[in-house]
Amino acid sequence: MKRVHVDDLDRIELDDGFVWRPIRRHFDIRAFGVNAYTPSAPGSQVVEEHTEATLGHEEIYLVLRGRARFTLDDAEHELGPGQLVFIHDPAVRRGAVAVEDDTVVLALGAKPGEAYEPSVWEAMFAAVPLMREERWDEAIRLHEDALVERPDQPALLYNLACVESRGGRRLDALLHLKRAVELDPKYAAHAAKDSDFAAIRDEPGFPA
Amino acid sequence: MNDGYQILSLDELEPLVGTNNGEALLLPVRHTLGLRAFGANAWTSQVGRHVVPPHEEDSGDEELYAVVRGRAKFTVGDESFDAPAGTLVHVLPGEHRVAIAEEEGTIVLAVGATPGKAFERRGWDDVVVAYAHGAAGRVEEGRAIMRDLPPDGPEWVKPYNLACYEARFGDRDRARAHLNEACALSDDARAYAEHDSDLDSIRE
Repeated sequence: MKRVHVDDLDRIELDDGFVWRPIRRHFDIRAFGVNAYTPSAPGSQVVEEHTEATLGHEEIYLVLRGRARFTLDDAEHELGPGQLVFIHDPAVRRGAVAVEDDTVVLALGAKPGEAYEPSVWEAMFAAVPLMREERWDEAIRLHEDALVERPDQPALLYNLACVESRGGRRLDALLHLKRAVELDPKYAAHAAKDSDFAAIRDEPGFPA
Repeated sequence: MNDGYQILSLDELEPLVGTNNGEALLLPVRHTLGLRAFGANAWTSQVGRHVVPPHEEDSGDEELYAVVRGRAKFTVGDESFDAPAGTLVHVLPGEHRVAIAEEEGTIVLAVGATPGKAFERRGWDDVVVAYAHGAAGRVEEGRAIMRDLPPDGPEWVKPYNLACYEARFGDRDRARAHLNEACALSDDARAYAEHDSDLDSIRE
């Protein structure tokens, strides 16, 4: 058994203004996805705008504290403590802003009919503060740890290549980028426009 | 309910007497929403009563408890601790756990599933909802839920549970027929039936 108060979870501030409070990673939960989100400033985003079209997850967002205004496709719903939205259609576009400063939203998700696998975005989000501080070796290690479980996950390989390129590991970056493109050719187009690859764009074999 | 999503307040859910010792009252989140990817239910109770029923998860589920409102005193294994709103408690399958409500209106959300397996509802929470319908005189609504229960355990369990429901709330002839079916499938059904108060109405 492990326990933590939601206010004592790690705070990982992301670019869209919301703060990721990793619960699944904290406990190493393996059966479902679960995280909390808080706003970085009054009125800021508390749930990132997204769909679940790629992962196919059904999701619950439960307001634990404060109030949040959810946008679900074209509709808006303001939810308070103890209120939740269950989104069973992965195509619904979802997001929320905090109406009160101390808002906490608990998010739960998994895909019906399949064993849960931790989402790869978690490793990428966890690396954000390390990359901001240019702690490249630590950011690389974090991606490598995630790749142990998902060695052929193209998004992870692509992001690892980004970090390696910025961290001066040009050969590793090239190899991992090429592997990501092999697994999912769309990453060639991403790489062509991605400033993270400025250091290796002129290398022979750059896949774009 | 929208086509793609549903808004729900935990306060809208009628607290239902569970199938355990009756202290913890189930707020049937999973049944109400039709969740298919993981289990999630909330519990409430009076102050000083169980708000998480005492149990271990022999199903293999790992569980996360979130204190949504109020305050609870958890005991997991040998460790007891105070858990105000916002506390998250992660419990592994074999660990014995229980929580007592320490404030009026305490609500604890329990989320669970088995690592490495696709989630399948087991139906225990559906049975609680069905019995609530039956007790309120909505026998057909409860019957429909009981008929839709997933297979859980040996083959005799489903007809046995149908027999219990019919004996308590529905049709005694149907109850006898379901019980005969269960007993034909296994002597275990006969053994359970001997001491099951749900079947009192057809015992003579």
